[in-house]
Amino acid sequence: MLARPRLALSRDVAQAAYRLLAAALLCAMLAMLSDVFLTTSNIFNVLRQTSLLFLMASGLTLVILTAGLDLSVGANIGLSACLAATAIKGADSPMLGVATGIGCGALIGLANGILVTALRIPSFIATYGVMWMLAGMTYYYMAGDTIHGFPPGFRQLGSGYLLGVPMPVYVMLVFLLIGTLFAQRTTWGQQIYAIGANPVAARLSGVPVERRLILVYTVSGAMAGLASLIVLARINSAQGDIGEDLTLPAIAAVLVGGTSLFGGYGTVAGTLIGALILTLVLNGMNLLQINSSWQPLVTGVIILLAVWIDNRTRRIGE
Amino acid sequence: MTVAPLFELQGISKEFPGIKALDDVSLEIRAGEVHMLVGENGAGKSTLMKVLCGAYRADRGSFFHNGKQVAISDPAAAREFGIAVIFQDFTLVPYLDIAQNIFLGRELSGRVPGLIDRRGIYTEARRVLDMIGFDVNPRTLVHRLGVAQQQMVEIAKALSQQARILVMDEPTAALSEREIERLFAIVARLKQSGVAIIYISHRLSEVFALGDRITVLRDGRKIASLLPGATTADQLVTLMVGRSVDSTYSRPSRPAPGEVVLDVRNLAGPSGLAGITLNVRAGEIVGLSGLVGSGRTEVARAIFGADRAITGEIRLFGERTGGSAEDSVRRGMALIPENRKTQGLALARSVGDNIVLAGLRRLFPSGMFLPARAMKAARSIIEKLRIATPTPRRPVATLSGGNQQKVVLGKWLNAGARFFIFDEPTRGIDVGAKAEIFRLLDGLVHNGAAVLMISSEQIEIVRICDRAYVMRDKRIVGELSGNELTEANIVRLGTHQ
Amino acid sequence: MSMPSLAQLPMSVARVPGVAIVLVVLSAIFALTSPGFASPANIANILTQSTILLLLALPMTVIIMTEGLDLSMGAVLTFASIVLAITVLASGSPVLGFFAALAVGSCFGLANGLLIAVLDIPPFITTLGTLGVAQGLSLLATDGQSVVGIPRSIENIYSGALAGIPLPVIIAAIAYCGTHALLYHTRFGTYVFALGGNREALKMAGISVRGVLIRAYVLGGLMAGFAALLMTARLNSAHPTAGIGMEFDAIAAVAVGGTSFERGNGWLLGTLLGVVAVGVLRNGLNLLAVRSSAQVACIGALVIIALFIDGLRAEP
Repeated sequence: MLARPRLALSRDVAQAAYRLLAAALLCAMLAMLSDVFLTTSNIFNVLRQTSLLFLMASGLTLVILTAGLDLSVGANIGLSACLAATAIKGADSPMLGVATGIGCGALIGLANGILVTALRIPSFIATYGVMWMLAGMTYYYMAGDTIHGFPPGFRQLGSGYLLGVPMPVYVMLVFLLIGTLFAQRTTWGQQIYAIGANPVAARLSGVPVERRLILVYTVSGAMAGLASLIVLARINSAQGDIGEDLTLPAIAAVLVGGTSLFGGYGTVAGTLIGALILTLVLNGMNLLQINSSWQPLVTGVIILLAVWIDNRTRRIGE
Repeated sequence: MTVAPLFELQGISKEFPGIKALDDVSLEIRAGEVHMLVGENGAGKSTLMKVLCGAYRADRGSFFHNGKQVAISDPAAAREFGIAVIFQDFTLVPYLDIAQNIFLGRELSGRVPGLIDRRGIYTEARRVLDMIGFDVNPRTLVHRLGVAQQQMVEIAKALSQQARILVMDEPTAALSEREIERLFAIVARLKQSGVAIIYISHRLSEVFALGDRITVLRDGRKIASLLPGATTADQLVTLMVGRSVDSTYSRPSRPAPGEVVLDVRNLAGPSGLAGITLNVRAGEIVGLSGLVGSGRTEVARAIFGADRAITGEIRLFGERTGGSAEDSVRRGMALIPENRKTQGLALARSVGDNIVLAGLRRLFPSGMFLPARAMKAARSIIEKLRIATPTPRRPVATLSGGNQQKVVLGKWLNAGARFFIFDEPTRGIDVGAKAEIFRLLDGLVHNGAAVLMISSEQIEIVRICDRAYVMRDKRIVGELSGNELTEANIVRLGTHQ
Repeated sequence: MSMPSLAQLPMSVARVPGVAIVLVVLSAIFALTSPGFASPANIANILTQSTILLLLALPMTVIIMTEGLDLSMGAVLTFASIVLAITVLASGSPVLGFFAALAVGSCFGLANGLLIAVLDIPPFITTLGTLGVAQGLSLLATDGQSVVGIPRSIENIYSGALAGIPLPVIIAAIAYCGTHALLYHTRFGTYVFALGGNREALKMAGISVRGVLIRAYVLGGLMAGFAALLMTARLNSAHPTAGIGMEFDAIAAVAVGGTSFERGNGWLLGTLLGVVAVGVLRNGLNLLAVRSSAQVACIGALVIIALFIDGLRAEP
């Protein structure tokens, strides 16, 4: 006779709780160290940054769940943003801009997916090469110029408010819902977890591995495209170097959120918490007036720590 | 006065979690003698050799070198006693040349400190290669060599380490007739120079052709140690296989088989398969037997669609299959692979997740996944197969071998499969659980499913299957049914006799 | 009993088609499209400018052969050059500056090696992390500004010549010979082949896999420090973004040169040709006034093509 399922906290929920606790502690610490932290403008700032980071990292979470990696998200945002900006200004149509941004991002993701599945290039190398190509293409295309001045309706997306809360937060919540539903409540999501846990067994269980991989890379690219729109709306301009320095924080957010680099374990909600923690750390550094040059360094160290912890807990679990 | 054997293992026991790999095994190794070690898969041969070469540490037992008690604590110690093992997967580095491989880890120092004496290595390699009559340029990169030649490099490597005891694990598994002859000649040469050879083989013809002494292992125990002249192939098979099947199992009477479920014609593939033609009908358990390396798993994978690039016709329920695993699953085919841990299960995921995976499309045609419904389906399978787990949420890695196998089977029941391919279904499962697996197989065909079962244990095939095909060298060489389905016939067809 | 002795095909015969074809084709295209391309002065230019890349590509070959990757090389190179410049300016001694650069590079290499070999963190993540660290340090040390005022003696290292051959080329040649000796004539080199080709073989032979890995990455850091000397000499300054991205060119050169990422199959001469190929590509595109950003895209395409061909060549 099977035991009735106990209401014990599953591993996922416990881990999320710890992370939320860490975030709360960070908030408390920063509130004590800086009286600017709890001001409305700063809180909104943190929320906006978290939303942006989350959007970037949400698609990336799916890729990492399959034990892959997409190093091109930052460069993807760069190119998508610039193309979207051109569409908005050129055709004076925010809708066209949105379509262009997301479409460009998705196409790039698709290309990544094809390189990984059809050409069988390891994902970190393929996306690394694509990253450089995109960066090059972006700089070439922009030729040092800046595009700025978008219609106010579009700008609402990034800098507007709804019921007193910044717009990006709503976008974030929407995609938190969509992402979680996709990963936990669809058959595709279950298959993706299976691919990450054991791709051979997944294939031998009838999972169309290649099609799902192409799907996750395309989604990762599309989310990058979406994130690029928020960036545009926020800073109201586009230039060649937009995408730089965005990839590392995205990866950090996913890893800090508890998703394992080795695949098969992690959640989209976790990535949200990871994005929050990372944003708090960087925000705190800004408030404490620590030189911004420390940020890539700190992000790098955080990534290393997260991977190390992941390694250790996997060993214990096995 | 009897001379003490060159090396002796006494009372070796080794346990792994949940399984007793070796139980009080003793072995005498004499110089200049070819000592055959035979037994079914899982009998403990590889484990014993790993203990001998220091890769594993025995839980109990002692070692004697020329009558004196010694200890083997690690591979280096084993090497000191001149013990060298050639495993089935060679430890050669593909892009280094023969000489470099021979001297890996023992490179000779040159005159300039820090540099290797490359010329010296080539001269030495040349000398060792000549000893076994292998005429090849030592500067050849190993990846350019064929399997037989790579094996020679392994032998040369062992000789270069002054091996006095050479262990060869299934050395002829991948060799052609000519290459086998060449190997035998080398073995003869080594014998003459006083090297003791431990030779593990499934091929009884070799055992009698080469062996000076035969030791039979079964289920981790030493069953007998005989001289080849004092025994026959049939007797060996009986000793090897014994009565490992739980005698509480007896084949129930089965209804007459129904329509043809699987129809395979002229299957051929890059791995060497050719002209494979077989069929399985509803309500039947058909066996696929043959020695290790005869191509059975390749056939299974080809039928299931796990391997591409094959030619021939495969029809399931009358329709040609699409050639991919996904398509096969959709049509109702199931594969329970040989290695359930690496190929059949996602160990880190829960029992429930694993059970539900293959049947996702069937359970949730709309694409929306409902955990409650999945749990319910998983629980019903768990109950039906009596899988021992407190809850479906446990990671499947925590289950015993037999229960893990049930999870793999449960996965396919959940997917509504009607044709099952089992590859070594009882491997690594203790005797008690084996009978249960057989009863589950009975249950499947009783409900009209069709089963193709690959097994290296001839006794299983005879006891459970309605009929069996026998494979040899990647081809089907016979079909046995009724009174002809005996262990002896399977062995006879499967070996070179 | 005798076997027909195998005519051993030297690896170069099977490889020359790949990277040499690329080199010849690129050179031909550029020679046709730009009159100045094939001039002796320009060729000398290409070779001299490729020397820094070669210093990075040589250890990168070794690292890639161990199934690893070092994404931090460019950042470490940059930081080492900054340390070099600052040390020289502070102490007045170029030699001290040089050793400081070597030390910095080795430290990063050691950090990489330890994280990868001991803590088991995948190479690309590790070196991504150390990339961030090195980059951060570069910005911090210079506040985003260039370090100028490099003494003549250092500058001469890049612009000087010995018997008509530019000094950098001589330095690169020495580095090449040294790496060649390391890879083909030392135990370490043999073990590098084994790490990528069959790690089990190494373990069975009782060799410490960790030791080899750590040494490979220390080599990478050390050479990055060495290259910092050349780069500072060439730019006559040290700038926090100078070497960023050079690891990409280095990886491209190694990939185009025929070294595999997963089989322990390394060819040093191929890397040399790959470096020249990348140099030719950049030079030719420069002459065609193609902007640096687009050049990167071309190199990216080249890498993907090289990887694809490598995948095709892999024995099944």
